[in-house]
Amino acid sequence: MTATAGAGLVVEGLEVSYGDVRALHGVDITVPAGSVTAVLGANGAGKSSLAAAIGGAGPVDRGRIVVDGEDVTRWPAYRRARAGVAYVPEGRGVFPHLTVLDNLRAMLRRAVPAADRADALARAMDTFPVLHERRRQAAGTLSGGEQQMLALARVLAAPPRLLVADEMSLGLAPRMVDVVFDGLRRAEDEGVTILLVEQYVERALDLADEAVLLRHGEVAWAGPVGDARAEVRSSYLGG
Amino acid sequence: MTTYLVTGLVVGSVYAIATLGIVLTYSSTRVFNFAQGAIAFALAITFYELTVDHGWNPRWAAAVTVLVVSPLLGLVLWAILFRRLADAPSSVRLVSTIGLWVALPPLTGLIFGRDERFAAPSAVFDPPHQYEVMGVGVDSNDVAVIVVAAVAALLLTVLLRATPFGLSVRATVDAPSMAATVGVNTSIVSAGSWMISTTLAGLAGVLLGTQRGFTLPQFTLLILGCFAAVVIARMHSLPLAFAGSLGLGVVQELSKSVVVGDFLDQFFERQSVWIRGLPQIIPFTVMLIFLLAYRGLGQERFSTDTRRADDAPTVEDLDGPPLAWWRRLLPVAVVVVCVLAAPLVLSGLWEGIAAKGLALAIVFLSYTLVAGSGGMLSLCQISFAGIAAAITADLATNHGVAIVVAIPIAALVVVPIGLLAAIPSLRVGDLYLALATLALAVLVDNTYFELPSVNNFDQGVDVPRPEGFGDDLPFYYLLVACFLVVALLVRNVRRSTTGLELDAMRSSEQAVATIGVGIVRSKLVVFGLSAFVAGVGGALFATYSGRASPEQYSVLLGVVWLAVVVTWGVRSIVGALLAGLSFAVFPQLASEHLTGAWLELPTVLFGLGAIGLAREPRGVVHQIVHGRRTQERARRQRARLRATPSPVPAGVEGGGA
Repeated sequence: MTATAGAGLVVEGLEVSYGDVRALHGVDITVPAGSVTAVLGANGAGKSSLAAAIGGAGPVDRGRIVVDGEDVTRWPAYRRARAGVAYVPEGRGVFPHLTVLDNLRAMLRRAVPAADRADALARAMDTFPVLHERRRQAAGTLSGGEQQMLALARVLAAPPRLLVADEMSLGLAPRMVDVVFDGLRRAEDEGVTILLVEQYVERALDLADEAVLLRHGEVAWAGPVGDARAEVRSSYLGG
Repeated sequence: MTTYLVTGLVVGSVYAIATLGIVLTYSSTRVFNFAQGAIAFALAITFYELTVDHGWNPRWAAAVTVLVVSPLLGLVLWAILFRRLADAPSSVRLVSTIGLWVALPPLTGLIFGRDERFAAPSAVFDPPHQYEVMGVGVDSNDVAVIVVAAVAALLLTVLLRATPFGLSVRATVDAPSMAATVGVNTSIVSAGSWMISTTLAGLAGVLLGTQRGFTLPQFTLLILGCFAAVVIARMHSLPLAFAGSLGLGVVQELSKSVVVGDFLDQFFERQSVWIRGLPQIIPFTVMLIFLLAYRGLGQERFSTDTRRADDAPTVEDLDGPPLAWWRRLLPVAVVVVCVLAAPLVLSGLWEGIAAKGLALAIVFLSYTLVAGSGGMLSLCQISFAGIAAAITADLATNHGVAIVVAIPIAALVVVPIGLLAAIPSLRVGDLYLALATLALAVLVDNTYFELPSVNNFDQGVDVPRPEGFGDDLPFYYLLVACFLVVALLVRNVRRSTTGLELDAMRSSEQAVATIGVGIVRSKLVVFGLSAFVAGVGGALFATYSGRASPEQYSVLLGVVWLAVVVTWGVRSIVGALLAGLSFAVFPQLASEHLTGAWLELPTVLFGLGAIGLAREPRGVVHQIVHGRRTQERARRQRARLRATPSPVPAGVEGGGA
């Protein structure tokens, strides 16, 4: 455990497969507490499998996942969430048929102690006033950007220990992408450890402290963002 | 009139209580509980035994039954069955609870005995107070039932709308994997829903029992009414379920009134038929109307479209080379030799039983077509069989048509009825289709089968065996020949272009439509053919006993038939054969060796078999042929489930894995 001291997230030798199809073959990643690590890679590299495995929403064959020194590999998703792992799945991380208010209630219920719940709810609405306007509307009727605001509002109102964000900017208008990255930066300021899966490489590298490049389910490269750009270029184009 | 209004509200209230449970569990777990009425029956009998046999105070007995036994039963059923269904293909989710519906009542008989049960003392007021409302005598127990239903509906609404548990349930209903990632323990949510649902079933059971008696037909009527209310509620709306139940109850009771009876008598000039059937017909007519009138029910078909067809090959199937041809044909060869040689070892009686089994096997081949190839769960195959049998009997006995001519004619006559049954399948998904075909079967049961010329005062009409096949031995071989011919037909349909289209359709209707295949034609063809096959089998079945009587073709028997077929394997011709034989042989064995409640043991086994599909959706035959591999697959699946306790790992399915 000496290597993992001060680490917000440690992934060791993670193997994931769907039937006979291997998605990840022994991935090792360490994210220092309070820092942001961007996970980059082409389609099919295993990014989402990694995110889902950490969030508890995907299978794990072998390996360990340690959050703030606690081995959560065998924990079901709900227990990880209660322990402070916030996983925003690819697509929209909201409950489409529940109202905005009920969404926040459901999301915050396990993230905040009962006494602080009303305050957290108010904080979430304050972060993005549009959510307050639409609090009685079904979340599925919000625009894509507003839905991601909802997901972010939960993170900012009750900062988790670890945020695993899987392509939150996917399919958004450029202005909304700004909003998402701005929100992620504020989460970082709150001291949240972030694992960021992204397609917008430049934006992700701007935000991140370190980067991990996945290729065919393996870590092809890992290091500080300063050195990452050249790596990424050769990896994406030179394959 | 007011009297019927009051009794209608009472009946409707009981429907409402049970229906709320069905809607709750369907919303939160996507499992439609066909067994709600059976569960209500089992719990009502528990109450009866506590009061009458053990002398408990009725109020205590009711409280213990509803508040202790019911939720416990729900928990147990969840642990052994419903929990496994969350991930199962939709056909398995349907058939498993149908299996429970089949198995539970006889199981109750095994536990508590099958004595005649008379009225138990009321759990609320004994003796009841009498009131006079608008010139009608009203019983305080009637009022109590209505109040209890209203309170139950109110409590459930408050629970879902205003409590943390309710929020968790609604979040889980909306997006199960999302719910898990925000900290909802979805197992507790689904166990909790099932416990609440069985509690409601228990409440409905005790109320119905004390009001109407503790007989199974009462509870069958209850469940059929509930299904109609569930359709009115579009499977999810609690207020609509409640209002629909009350409305149904009132309309159903009003239909018994003298005014309506007189009108119908004048209109149809045949009172016995319509008066007897009307209360049963109404829920189902209403259900059919709503199924055809509601828009957008078909969307469910597409939303479940992404789920894997239950027989789709999985990655696990890639292990090792495919089975050698002789290993695939070996079971077929063994079965054919056994069937041909069977009379060498069978006595006269058993030759007849086996022949009866073969006739049933032909009927079961119609399931192989419609459910196996078409992927559509039809609960009205037995009606096709029964109608064809009745027509055959009429032609042969009353019009002197030779039996070998009468059978094909009768089978052809039911083809248009089959096409009629296919209409809902063009609009709605598999669950609604199952309900629609059930509705059709109930309609046939209570109208056509009640006609004096068909029913003949419950005697049925004579059907002779074909000339020269009167003895059991030649009759047996005749049926072997018939079965082989129909089996060949089924096999060829499967290998035809239509068969291929159906295979593709089972996997994804959308994908098939995009490559230009007409879904409508394929569905009509398979339904029409299956009606023909069921008709032939049904008529032959009647020639075994020499009599076509409607009781042999009742709706509930059809449900048991389905359970037997799916247990052996609905995709398999050998499966249909074994299903037919076992359906004839097991009850005969039981009647020779067992007594009392144990006589129903075969039915229990058939039901349990269908429940067992939750473990192996492809049936027993598949398991025998592919045994080792299947077990290996199951083992891996269990390992996978342990690794991912969240019910639906939706977040990863479409991911960039």
